[in-house]
Amino acid sequence: MHTWGFEALGTAWQVDTAAPLGDAPRERVRERVEQYDRDWSRFRTDGPVAELARTGRAALADEAGDLLDVYTTLHRLTGGAMNPLVGASLERLGYDPAYTLQPSGDPVPAPSWDAVTWAPPVLDVPPATVLDVGAAGKGQLVDLVTDLLLADGVDVLTVDGSGDLRHVAGEPLRVALEHPDDSSLAVGVLELDPGLALCASAANRRAWGDGLHHVLDARTGLPTDEVVATWVVAERALVADALATALFLAPADRLAEAFDFSALVITADGRAAVHGDLTGELFS
Amino acid sequence: MKLTRLPQAAAGAAAASLMLLTAACGSDDSSDASSEATSASPSPEASQEAPADAAPDAGATGTYTAGDYDAEGSYQTPAGTQSVEVEVTLEADGTITAVEVDPQAEGGNSEMFQKKFAGGISKVVVGKKIDELDVSKVAGSSLTSGGFNAAIEDIAGQAQA
Repeated sequence: MHTWGFEALGTAWQVDTAAPLGDAPRERVRERVEQYDRDWSRFRTDGPVAELARTGRAALADEAGDLLDVYTTLHRLTGGAMNPLVGASLERLGYDPAYTLQPSGDPVPAPSWDAVTWAPPVLDVPPATVLDVGAAGKGQLVDLVTDLLLADGVDVLTVDGSGDLRHVAGEPLRVALEHPDDSSLAVGVLELDPGLALCASAANRRAWGDGLHHVLDARTGLPTDEVVATWVVAERALVADALATALFLAPADRLAEAFDFSALVITADGRAAVHGDLTGELFS
Repeated sequence: MKLTRLPQAAAGAAAASLMLLTAACGSDDSSDASSEATSASPSPEASQEAPADAAPDAGATGTYTAGDYDAEGSYQTPAGTQSVEVEVTLEADGTITAVEVDPQAEGGNSEMFQKKFAGGISKVVVGKKIDELDVSKVAGSSLTSGGFNAAIEDIAGQAQA
């Protein structure tokens, strides 16, 4: 196995391949992740997200259709709690481009997702709306990088975006499930078969104050408090990543109306609940 | 995060269906009062004696007394009553460093239940040291960006000033 590591979306990525990865595919991956960052990061001033916040209208990248489809379905299934217009709510709590990490006032709900006009590739939103696709963007980029390498004829084994990963080929992958309170501990080990994606979300690790973290209920603009960590197995990393956040906001049975997945959910009382079938060990 | 493969240490024995002694591991933050060690029964039929070698000093102080803990009991399966002995080694910080189950579940499907965690179960989880597990990947809350972490450290520094 050969491994190539690089930085994308502010974190460490790793591509495992059966044969050494050449310079050309590496360069294409670098260009793709840079493009994705420009197209979707709400921390950049030079992309469509900034344009949307300034003018209420922007043309989005090709992958917007897939991404917004998933968001639209989960917005419905969570009763509006999951919403990609939650950016300004996050900024109000201090999670802004300058990393202020101090609330600047009372929580603000996100604008209604039902009020947007989506005429691909153009999205129209209310004034001063900040798009935030953080709940599903990294998963989608894992899929895009995987597809790019496969189209290049690369023997991809695994694409790992810092724990959100697609296991494409090879032996089942043994993955430690990181304890939400302590990154040196695991609460279990999952065996991930080829052809599946695994994505995780945890409130505690990206937290900056008492009860302040990055998973918000868009209807109130307040962080959630019942669920502390989730892991989701699905065929696409986009879906797994989005569901990992949605499980903070709605029960697995509800989300299963539209998506085929397995999941592990840890609640604030330290209990783990399983949806579907997972292979591995849960330390309990 | 990249991990080196290590010989499998304590992994494998802590099957959800077998545990008689359950410890809820909190964070590595010693001020976190959620750390506690409790004894739990897997079923109403279970009988148990715990601890044997040392008394768990838990709850009020939020710390652990390191030592070896034994528990024995029985639990119901569709195949009938099965007996089990569990020995757990607990570090002062609450980490379970070794779990021995003796005898191994015999016959029936019990062994398979250790490998599959099927839907519907709800169990209190415990932490095990990742570097003692035989794994090649870690999945957590996507590691946060350098900027976020730097800002947190900056605020922590201000808080200490």
